[in-house]
Amino acid sequence: MRPIIVALAALALGLPSCARNDQAVVLNDWNFGGRPRLIEWLRTRVDSFQVAHPGVRVVQSQKSWNMIRELLYAEYSCGTGPDIVNVHANYAAEFGGAGYYYPVNTFPDFAQVKGWYVPCMIEATRYGDNYYGLPSSAIAFVLVCNKELFDREGIAPPRTWSEFRAAARRLTRDTDGDGVPDQYGLVLLGGDRGGFAYRLIPFFLKAGARPMTDDLKTVTLNAPGGVAALRLIADMYQVDHSVTPGFLAYSLTEVNDLFCSNRAAMSIEGPWFRGMVDDKCPGKKFYTVPVPVPDELAGGADTAATLQDMVMYAINARSPHPEQAWELLKYLRNEEADMAWIRQDLGATATTRAALESPEAAALDDLPVYVRELAHARPWPAHPKMIAIASDIFTPWAEKAIVGEISPAGAMDQATREAQELIEGKR
Amino acid sequence: MKRSLPYLLLAPALLFTAFVLVYPLGQNLLNSFRAVHLVQGTGGWTGLDNYRHVFADREFTLALRNTAGYALGGTLLALAGGLAVALLLERATTRATPLVTCLLSLPWVISPVVAGFAWKWMLNDHFGILNAWLAGAGIVNPGTSWLGNPHTALLCAMVARAWQFYPFAMVMFLAGLESIPAEQYEAASVDGASAVRRFLAITLPNLRPVSSVLLLLGVIWSFNDFTTVFVMTRGGPIDASMVLPVLVREFSFVHFDLGKGSALSIVIFAALVLLSALYLRVLVGRERA
Repeated sequence: MRPIIVALAALALGLPSCARNDQAVVLNDWNFGGRPRLIEWLRTRVDSFQVAHPGVRVVQSQKSWNMIRELLYAEYSCGTGPDIVNVHANYAAEFGGAGYYYPVNTFPDFAQVKGWYVPCMIEATRYGDNYYGLPSSAIAFVLVCNKELFDREGIAPPRTWSEFRAAARRLTRDTDGDGVPDQYGLVLLGGDRGGFAYRLIPFFLKAGARPMTDDLKTVTLNAPGGVAALRLIADMYQVDHSVTPGFLAYSLTEVNDLFCSNRAAMSIEGPWFRGMVDDKCPGKKFYTVPVPVPDELAGGADTAATLQDMVMYAINARSPHPEQAWELLKYLRNEEADMAWIRQDLGATATTRAALESPEAAALDDLPVYVRELAHARPWPAHPKMIAIASDIFTPWAEKAIVGEISPAGAMDQATREAQELIEGKR
Repeated sequence: MKRSLPYLLLAPALLFTAFVLVYPLGQNLLNSFRAVHLVQGTGGWTGLDNYRHVFADREFTLALRNTAGYALGGTLLALAGGLAVALLLERATTRATPLVTCLLSLPWVISPVVAGFAWKWMLNDHFGILNAWLAGAGIVNPGTSWLGNPHTALLCAMVARAWQFYPFAMVMFLAGLESIPAEQYEAASVDGASAVRRFLAITLPNLRPVSSVLLLLGVIWSFNDFTTVFVMTRGGPIDASMVLPVLVREFSFVHFDLGKGSALSIVIFAALVLLSALYLRVLVGRERA
């Protein structure tokens, strides 16, 4: 009996010494969302980082975008959370402002690193005087038009609101002759509050409306251009019946299914959409064009703003290893790494000058549209409450207006009032 | 040692209960009287402010109404379905009956998340099988949106909930039917009572204790059901199917106001305690009878 006990004790004592890299610095890296090939690329990149930095071990976790704010707030408020994480750049205001993210501009080589990026991209990571991350990828919201349906009708992708409305009306058809339309001009992502706001706001921006004043003190969702944009979509739904009737329940999967099966002709999307469509329906073609502008602004269509959404990598302010996290961040986001966004369809646009100006970039189909749109695109206002306003106030009121429960002007007045109360701390 | 042994044996279970039930409940109760915000941190005591905010919230009234309708409607639907199937199974006793009973019980053992997604896809306006059948039969227009329509979304969740609960009701009713003395039916037949009369005068009164227990259990479980509604509609469209458990999540993890979320969960807890007390009373009454 005794030899067995001795052997077990020796084994128990010996096991810890077999652990890999037990002196290594451990960095937890959370990755939200991303297409499978992006996740695979990240894994490979992290592996090569570990080879180059034997003293650092990176533990990667894959998470869903759907729960990002809930997960991060729950972790950060407990003083935990990953060392590095990819998040929307506008979290710089919400989380950076709350002291959860490390100001990366305090690293001595930040000025040099900053020079890698297109200025508007790195600026999107700034809140106040600090930069809270490095750009990972950029997105401009555009209009995607089902090529097969447009070509069949012999019409070109719309540039103005009246062309957009006319195209949607024309593309809404009863194709099987049962008296009920089964093909619609426009599909909207109504079942996802955040996603819906991201798709409607480009119309507001194109009409010159802004969700908030530049000093971030006054909510302006009820600006005339915004109300007009909402009225356009409401009229398309209620008068023309050219928007899919069940849009309030749709997630991105349903939008993709409808688009791929020719039941929807247009949708507001971004660079991820080509990959999604390719996965579902290989070879399906679509036009990628800017979100239409109001007719009276047609002359300035090329410079009208759309919504810019950017993903950045941030470092947890409570990370015990900020220096090592910064090294990993730079490795994941340097100019050489950024070329992956050009060489593969990873669902977004590169952010460094070197990648975007490379000869390989010039050969990509949609990239010029995205780069052109990004040059004039605007992010959500950098207010810590903006995401809550967009998801929890703007979307419900806008959806009520679209289905006719309230007028567009009334809905935006109500949304503005509630959002103003929120930023003034009265709610 | 002999005297303390029972307590020692009980200790693990008591510790486990204290850790997973008493502590969270106590913490939740404390949070409901404090300003606990995931973004702004924990503030001081706020008395009944969180409760006042909950009751003043327009979503609360809507969610309370929806929850009551969902719990009661879904349970009644399940009970009606369960009783109908139980009656059929009791009448048609063949060698296949156990297998059929087993198959009919499947919804009860399917994970609510899986069931929610399955119903979501069956109800899809363009690709759902239900629309294909109903439109094929000329009952609805093709492309009818069920979950995207504020007037039908909650009803759909209710149907899905009834589908999940009816097998339990079926099994309970089957047991109840088997316990009804055959003499009662024989006497009624001799008196010339019709099948409907026998059902109304013998079957239903005999099943009353089972029905009341099932009704209470169904309402309690549905009142507390988060999964079905969250998976199918997330409380939408435009909050039309918002129920109290989903609203707790909204307060706690969308608005990050844990104080308000805790207050609402205590309100739900109080309602469930009342319902459970009623259930126990019915159960005791039944045993005495």
